[in-house]
Amino acid sequence: MIEFKDVSLVYPNGTQGLKNVNLKINQGEFVVIVGLSGAGKSTLIRSMNRLVTPTSGQLLIDDDDILPYNQRKLRKLRTEVGMIFQNYNLVKRSTVMKNVISGRLGHTGTFASLFNLFPKEAVSLAYRSLERVNIAEKVYMRADQLSGGQQQRVAIARVLTQQPKIILADEPVASLDPPTSHQVMTYLRKVNKEDNITTIVNLHFIDMAMEYADRIIGMRAGEVVFDGPASEVSEQTFEEIYGRKIREDDLVGGPDDE
Amino acid sequence: MDLVMPPKKKRSTAKIIRNIIIAIALIALYVWTFTTIDVRWDRVFSERTIENFGRVIPQLFSPDWAAFQKIMVLMWQTLQMAYTGTLLAAILAIPFGFFAASNMVKSKVLNNISKGFLNGIRAFPELVLALMFVAAVGPRPFAGVLAIAIGSIGMLGKLYSEVIESIDMHVVEALQANGANKIQVLFYGVIPQIIPEFLSYAIYRFEIDVRASTILGIIGAGGIGTLITISISNRKWDEVGMILLVIIVVVTIIDYLSAAIRKRIV
Amino acid sequence: MSKPEINGVVSTNAKVRMTIILVAIVGVYAYTSWATRSTPMDIIRGWGGFQRILTDLFPPNWAYAPQVWEKLVETIQMAIIATTFAAIISVPIFLLSAANLFPNAWIHQPVRFIMNVLRTIPDILLAIIFVGIFGVGVFPGIMALFIFSLGLLAKLMYETIESIDMNPLDAIRASGGNTIQVIWYAVMPQVLPQFVSFSLYVFEVNVRASTVLGFVGAGGIGLLLQQQISFFNFPRVMTIIIIIFIAVVIIDYISNKIRERIV
Repeated sequence: MIEFKDVSLVYPNGTQGLKNVNLKINQGEFVVIVGLSGAGKSTLIRSMNRLVTPTSGQLLIDDDDILPYNQRKLRKLRTEVGMIFQNYNLVKRSTVMKNVISGRLGHTGTFASLFNLFPKEAVSLAYRSLERVNIAEKVYMRADQLSGGQQQRVAIARVLTQQPKIILADEPVASLDPPTSHQVMTYLRKVNKEDNITTIVNLHFIDMAMEYADRIIGMRAGEVVFDGPASEVSEQTFEEIYGRKIREDDLVGGPDDE
Repeated sequence: MDLVMPPKKKRSTAKIIRNIIIAIALIALYVWTFTTIDVRWDRVFSERTIENFGRVIPQLFSPDWAAFQKIMVLMWQTLQMAYTGTLLAAILAIPFGFFAASNMVKSKVLNNISKGFLNGIRAFPELVLALMFVAAVGPRPFAGVLAIAIGSIGMLGKLYSEVIESIDMHVVEALQANGANKIQVLFYGVIPQIIPEFLSYAIYRFEIDVRASTILGIIGAGGIGTLITISISNRKWDEVGMILLVIIVVVTIIDYLSAAIRKRIV
Repeated sequence: MSKPEINGVVSTNAKVRMTIILVAIVGVYAYTSWATRSTPMDIIRGWGGFQRILTDLFPPNWAYAPQVWEKLVETIQMAIIATTFAAIISVPIFLLSAANLFPNAWIHQPVRFIMNVLRTIPDILLAIIFVGIFGVGVFPGIMALFIFSLGLLAKLMYETIESIDMNPLDAIRASGGNTIQVIWYAVMPQVLPQFVSFSLYVFEVNVRASTVLGFVGAGGIGLLLQQQISFFNFPRVMTIIIIIFIAVVIIDYISNKIRERIV
């Protein structure tokens, strides 16, 4: 369970990234965060694995405040929180297998990982994760030989190999075309439902948000301006969140729209 | 519990054999190198070494400022040598660069001869060239200048040819289509594209040539190297320390200026 | 800035500037070539000397070649040893010099500074100093080559590291990897081909350099060069030079072929 208590983040140059955020997210929820660029979506997501650090308030994950964590506890936190990035962030020259199994690095000793000495169970887990996103046949290919959608699926497999309690996805489909985007979102939802992993996704496509989310959180200027189930959301709600009329590039379109 | 394992990685036998051969060759190379090299360990770890250490190192680090003036005079000569040599080479290398560029001189024979010639020059360490020139014209800075110039033609010629081969040929085509003759194409289409990079490489080579000029004097070809030999034979390590300091400072300044100028050119 | 006068194709400003620069360059050249006695007049006067040396050097004394061989082998071995150690030791150094891996300026600036200083010292000068301490032999030569190549390799590598894709590092750090794992899994795969290529390049440089270190007593074929010159035995000198030439050409060729296949 994730709980934000009056969390704020002020950058060294004075800009306010987050402002008095109060949220409670339960285990297993599929939450989508929406808002314009610069609204604080990325900052919110990255505070949950402390890639950025809030400057005040309390951020509790499973009743433990992660803000004062030292390096060792931080590492342990990050093994339990998986992250998917807009640019997939795979090591292009390495094989799919090597990329996926690097999800286990947090659980593996430094020495063993230098020599690729992962336990058999870890290798099996990595392979099964690849099977779950239907890309197991590419296991020994170099990552840069895959398409964008395939690379993102490998990234999902990497996150699965971590066996996390929470998955954070920072604009996971922004670089993909509509059909592939839907495919990736479907996989994220599938994993969320099958493994009961709390999934928090940043999107700026409102139709996609409405289609896949259980719950939608709207942000503007670092503040939470909307928080409710997806069923209660309409285009008007988005206009209120964005503070302007909806435009065409706020929609991704469906697989049949082209 | 039965684990689902990924399929075994397919490795072609040819690749495995090749890797094994490379591994064996490398191991053999290293074993041979380390066992047959004749390091006189008894001299390296001897009392004389410790004595020398105690004498040389402290003197090196307390440079002799009294010698500063005569060192600066020779350092100035060193810079002059480097400038003359590099500039000579920068000009002389130009025709070689053109002959070696396949998009300028269409004859493959000429290309290969030029490339071969340039590569050939580059195989000579500058000191060796300087030795020959000292034998030819005597122990003077002139010999050093010649060595620097000939040596630099090799590297500059090669870099020039690479620059020429990478220009945008569409510009040349457009000029030819407009009816320009060969010389006009050269001056209006090719030269404007290559001048900044030629200059940049020449300045870069100057850096290297300054370093090289500092030691040519050891064999008599002028510059501060002459002082190094004298100080060493007199065992005046504090003078050597001062020379070292001057060289480090001057070369660093030149490197810095060179980088700054080159950034503004390209 | 006032409107440029339209007097011709090139603006007057640019013309004036270019002329000044050109005059400056030629002017300095006139001075330096006079000061070093390397004017075209001197070249003409020296022509007799060139002809003389060529007749002295040719034909080379081929009978001497077998004796050169042993020293040549020693020269190449010196380069191999120095390059190998430099490659190994350079790894922590260039990692620490990379501003994107270690943003703390107190870490990467001092390391870079020391390496830059080492690179400005000509290798022969290092060799002379080491001979003064350790005596004549291959050891000072190897040390000199090692220190010089350390600086060179470190510089080439940290420039490479600063241009890698930082994204995979974020990902590995986000999944809980520590610094060493981040470097091994995200940095190394990206820079390994360059590292091997640069190491081979440094080996080429070291072979060239080690051929002359012997001149000051630091081992290798340079020793023979110095001896034969002091005897004025120019045909033998030419043999040595030609053998050096052939060796460098062959090694450069092999090294370039390997480097082409790696990157």
